[in-house]
Amino acid sequence: MSVLQLSHVTKRYGAFIAVDDISFSVEKGKILSLLGPSGCGKTTTLRMISGFEVANEGAVMFSGIDMKGRRPYERNVGLLFQDYALFPHMTVVENIAYGLKHRKFDKAKIPDRVAEMVSLVKLKGFEHRRPGRLSGGQQQRVALARALATYPEVVLLDEPLSALDAKLRQELRFELKEILAAVNATTIVVTHDQEEAMSLGDSVIVMSGGKIMQQGAPTEIYADPKTRFVAEFIGRSNWFSGQLAPGTGGLAKFKATSGINMIVPVSGGHLTGGQYDVCVRPERIQIDAATVASAGTPVNEIRGAIRDIAHLGADLHLVVEIAGGQLLTVTEKYTGQTLEQTGQEVSISFRPRDCIVVPSGS
Amino acid sequence: MKRFIDHAAAWLSVANLVIVLIFLVFPIIVAITMSFDGREYLGRFPPPVYSLRWYERFISDTYYLTGLATSLKLATIATIVSTAAGVCTAIGLDRYEGPGKQALETLFLSSLVVPAVVIGFALLLSFAMVGVFDGFTRLLAGHIIITFPYTVRTTLAGLVGIRKTLTEAAMSLGATERRAFWDITFPLARTGMVAGAVFAFAFSMDDVAVSLFLTSPDSYTLPVAMVSMMRTNFDLTIAAASVVLMVFTFALILFLDWAVGLDRLIGKGVFSSQGEPS
Ligand SMILES: Nc1ncnc2c1ncn2[C@@H]1O[C@H](COP(=O)(O)OP(=O)(O)OP(=O)(O)O)[C@@H](O)[C@H]1O
Ligand SMILES: [Mg+2]
Repeated sequence: MSVLQLSHVTKRYGAFIAVDDISFSVEKGKILSLLGPSGCGKTTTLRMISGFEVANEGAVMFSGIDMKGRRPYERNVGLLFQDYALFPHMTVVENIAYGLKHRKFDKAKIPDRVAEMVSLVKLKGFEHRRPGRLSGGQQQRVALARALATYPEVVLLDEPLSALDAKLRQELRFELKEILAAVNATTIVVTHDQEEAMSLGDSVIVMSGGKIMQQGAPTEIYADPKTRFVAEFIGRSNWFSGQLAPGTGGLAKFKATSGINMIVPVSGGHLTGGQYDVCVRPERIQIDAATVASAGTPVNEIRGAIRDIAHLGADLHLVVEIAGGQLLTVTEKYTGQTLEQTGQEVSISFRPRDCIVVPSGS
Repeated sequence: MKRFIDHAAAWLSVANLVIVLIFLVFPIIVAITMSFDGREYLGRFPPPVYSLRWYERFISDTYYLTGLATSLKLATIATIVSTAAGVCTAIGLDRYEGPGKQALETLFLSSLVVPAVVIGFALLLSFAMVGVFDGFTRLLAGHIIITFPYTVRTTLAGLVGIRKTLTEAAMSLGATERRAFWDITFPLARTGMVAGAVFAFAFSMDDVAVSLFLTSPDSYTLPVAMVSMMRTNFDLTIAAASVVLMVFTFALILFLDWAVGLDRLIGKGVFSSQGEPS
């Protein structure tokens, strides 16, 4: 049975629908990333799970038990707030012990549990400091320790890393994952950073306008987005709009409005003659066809000219202008030398199976 | 040239500070010095001889002593009542999110901007209408009304700095709303509450305008006694009385500061995030 289950949950503020009929479940010890643009209802969803907001429709269930009517302190939820919400007048230890005191934990065992949490989040030596005298990363870990100390059924993290600078985010993301795994926490992580969502989550939900757009494993969401919104939200993408024409063997011809023809993969749901958008990820495009073409497999080839080359550490980002003035982004691993030059005429290519076909305007 | 202007501005602000200090401090020094004047008559400053004669006269004058006793009693009760009421009002205002929040806030703070003379006169009329003639009751009501806005204001200022997520964090950790208030909101807002009490006490001790209207022959405050003595027999006992008034006001402020000072051991309210020793 799922530790957490939401079924057909809707939240309205007046006439405005903040969360629109969402359903999902999380299994014991799994991490679910909730990803979406600002205002799409992520925080509202967490607030309904933790009991600070009441759903207008639908049910929130913990291990099969409906939480309807239960106040936040009657649910065992570990919450990490975006601003950490550490109690400024209490020390690290007092902060961590707060939940243990109020959840009727055996008094004699509190110091041990606090010490355990302190070492789990690597804060030995900081026990008696107040939050005001800790760095951002240390505060984040205190907040995490406080949220995890009471063995919560469900852990909810609202933008756990967004208050930190880029380098620290990377480090703490890894640490966060380790800590959550160590306590086998059933977790929802809210973020609007797709990299964070993909690296932390066992599964990812992409939300927009209060609705779930797609749900699946990180690789699945990236490789097989069902809508243009999801494809654009997860990773970089190049787009062609046009019509599908009949083809064979799971492939179809695609005629872009810019006049470019290509071969794309199709499945049962795709309609010949319908309007579709085709997405090609920048790293799936090769400059100069030789490397892609192998016997028997068709390849899409387009001629263009390099307009810009940017060195971004490990990657090269190239901008290629093709027919009709459309600009494509192409990324390559930087291997120590740059063969291409700005202004150079090139032939770019990508395999049909690297094309993602989604309904136009989705 | 820019630099010159900066320098000039710096000097001007220092000069400004010095002038303000002189205007603030000088009269007080004069009053204190004159209260120790050894001469029988009101002479020039500084006095050639010093003595405690005006203080002796003050403590042997039941008129002043009655005033002082009334003032202290009044200020203490008014401070307690208006702090309690102000704290409750501020908490209510802080939580209330409905329409007219702004209007309510303005209403509660309005007596800050209404001239005290107007309040005094209006209260006198109202008390006469409802038939309250006891001097102390009238004074107490008046003092609560003039000090109340200060306690609301300072408490509100303290509460505004407390993020809502702190209460929510406490609740998610198993604390009921009431528990969260006592554990989180109250200690963090305490500095503001104490500041409100200090203001209330100081304003109550100091008030003349409202008290003048509400005084009765047997219930009058020390400042009112000083004003009426000034009209009838002006001597330096008034200077001694001012010093006594000042001392009592300061003493209470110091006491409350010490009480808040104790607070520092267990957290210094909203300011605790800025470097206290660990
Ligand atoms: N108390 C409220 N009253 C009215 N509307 C609200 C309230 N709380 C949230 N909303 C609205 O509901 C929508 C969803 O808000 P929510 O806070 O869940 O967004 P979010 O996905 O967490 O966004 P962000 O990434 O910016 O934090 C927003 O449009 C917001 O304006
Ligand atoms: Mg949010």
